Amino acid sequence: MTPTPIPPALVELLDDAALDLNALARGCAVTTEWVHTHVEAGVLEPLAGGGAAEWRFSSTTLARARRIAELEHTYDADPQLAALTADLMEEVARLRRLVRDF
Amino acid sequence: MEFKDYYQTLGVAKGASQDDIRKAYRKLARKYHPDVSKEADAALRMAELNEANTVLSDPEKRAAYDTVGAQAWAQGARSGDDVRPPPGWNTGYEFAEGAPGGARGHFGAGEADFSEFFEQMFGRARTAGGARGQAGTGGGARAQMRGEDHHARIELELIDAYRGAERAITLRGARLNADGQLVPEERTLQVKIPQGVKEGQLIRLAGQGSPGLHGGAAGDLFLEVRFRPDARWRIDGRDVTQRLRVTPWEAALGGGVGVTTPDGRTVEVTVPAGSGSGRRLRLKGRGIPSGSAPGDLYLELDIAVPGAVTPEQQRAWQALGQAYPGFDPRRA
Repeated sequence: MTPTPIPPALVELLDDAALDLNALARGCAVTTEWVHTHVEAGVLEPLAGGGAAEWRFSSTTLARARRIAELEHTYDADPQLAALTADLMEEVARLRRLVRDF
Repeated sequence: MEFKDYYQTLGVAKGASQDDIRKAYRKLARKYHPDVSKEADAALRMAELNEANTVLSDPEKRAAYDTVGAQAWAQGARSGDDVRPPPGWNTGYEFAEGAPGGARGHFGAGEADFSEFFEQMFGRARTAGGARGQAGTGGGARAQMRGEDHHARIELELIDAYRGAERAITLRGARLNADGQLVPEERTLQVKIPQGVKEGQLIRLAGQGSPGLHGGAAGDLFLEVRFRPDARWRIDGRDVTQRLRVTPWEAALGGGVGVTTPDGRTVEVTVPAGSGSGRRLRLKGRGIPSGSAPGDLYLELDIAVPGAVTPEQQRAWQALGQAYPGFDPRRA
């Protein structure tokens, strides 16, 4: 199969404050209200901005938010419990990398 | 097309209640979650579980599936048999949710991870669901709908983060054919990976997600970066730790040693006299590059002790011991 070349202009390395509220919600397939609720609960933390319109999220927050949304959906999990589980999963991944690498 | 026995996948009886199905899915999802499972085929099993759960947990989809399944079973079919849904099998069914593979509820799997069987059964419904949604908006005008974003992981070498790279990425997905049906599609993208990526970071490929409906923009494809395991390096954000093996006399006396860094360059670093194993030397800005805040490269000293094989070498170690009569590393 011949690879389809993707023009470099369409390839973007998301930096640490690349996603606004709508982009984060769309990336997680959730509503902006869901993001609001989770920011207010301290489960998700925007990197910058006082009001919701100025919120900016890192791409690692997107991965974390997706995991939390999945946990909540699959297990009807409380947001704080889902966040705790997501944190533990990330910690397990980090420790596995440490064990694996050295 | 391979017939999928979703009940068997979840290990439940055909008359299982919704509660039984939910419990079975959760139990197996915990076992096969790719982030925690030690099973070799965890990702594959998780994709199968997601697909089975998507159908059986939705009463409308389950009823439609049972219609097809009942006919297949009546004909003696089992998993692995070729079964094709009869024409018009889904007449009268409406699916509350068009898209079967949204991010929610699908651990470790993208929209692309459903089988051909699933696409054959429910792909048409996805389009129908979209059309129904527009009818609700009224006026007959077909509202534009942006395509879904897709998510996938990409595994890179550390040197790719230093230099940038070009990679061919093969994705399994689905596309709308001329009849508006979803059909399986495999595609390969040639992508230039920008320099400076770090673990967990996302690369967005604009317009490479699902196509939009009725002139809507296509979704994006997000690639989450993972680095391939490599015993030479440990990576934390943009900081990289590399083991630097030194001789006992280099560690004791200090001096310059040549080091090949992850980007393939050789640099000379000064090992301070009196260094012990585990001491870390920082090379500022020599970690993963970034315009504003490049990472640092840490060299972790590891003292390599040569064997005392020849009489001359044994005498040399004995002389060393005699030079340190009070040295006892077991005493703090």
